[in-house]
Amino acid sequence: MDSLIPFTTSGSLVDCVDRKMMVVLRDGRKLIGVLRSYDQFANLVLEDTVERIYHADVFAERWQGLYLIRGENVVLLGEIDLDQEDEIPLRQVEWKVLEPYHKQDVATKKHRDEFKAGVLYEEKGFCKEGGEGDGY
Amino acid sequence: MLPLSLLNAAQNKPMLVELKNGETFNGHLVNCDNFMNITLREVFQTSPDADRFWKVKECYIRGSTIKYIRVPDTLLDAVKDEQNRAREMGRSARGGNVSRGGAYPSFFLAFHFRLSPWGSSKAGVIACRVIIQKQRRL
Repeated sequence: MDSLIPFTTSGSLVDCVDRKMMVVLRDGRKLIGVLRSYDQFANLVLEDTVERIYHADVFAERWQGLYLIRGENVVLLGEIDLDQEDEIPLRQVEWKVLEPYHKQDVATKKHRDEFKAGVLYEEKGFCKEGGEGDGY
Repeated sequence: MLPLSLLNAAQNKPMLVELKNGETFNGHLVNCDNFMNITLREVFQTSPDADRFWKVKECYIRGSTIKYIRVPDTLLDAVKDEQNRAREMGRSARGGNVSRGGAYPSFFLAFHFRLSPWGSSKAGVIACRVIIQKQRRL
């Protein structure tokens, strides 16, 4: 099987199917779930999905269920190592406790990015972003 | 199964559609197409900041505006069961049409069909046909 690696198609998600994956969306959301299927647009079906938010050394999770994600909204896909996933240096708290902090982080980042984009546009001639919720 | 086939199988089921701008649409899927354009009925629309709500009888959403769709978790299992049932119906129909010559007992053929590790792949079907043809020559 290893000798066939040079002949397998590149850019294929077949090795990721039925594995626990973290998907980062363009709006900054991090979804963790089992990848069940995909297609040529990298539309994904994620089962048993959990949305996770982070702040400082703390994280929180919220169960969301079965997702069909449109491929163009995905930034990246990463495999979760089941052996190591519990050994992270972060502790888990309740979603409703962490949510306000996370919202604040998001608002601060958005403000900072908008300011940066404004300066780059005015002073350096850069174009403004598409504005389609590229919050990651 | 492919993501769009899952969507097709979700007709008449409730779902939550979030658009790229953050608006959410809760409703039952009427129809969908290959571009992920969908029509929903009995829809509750929510603005991105969740401060405004609308109740809409029917709406059409262009696929290119969709960020993601949340679907009932039972849907995946329900669709897999339906697929298996359809596959077994197809298999038994095909198995019934083949004349079983020789001393090959019918239950053995059933063994080949039901416990085949190839599933419904073309290779599996061709292999099954080869087995049947060999039995005829016996």
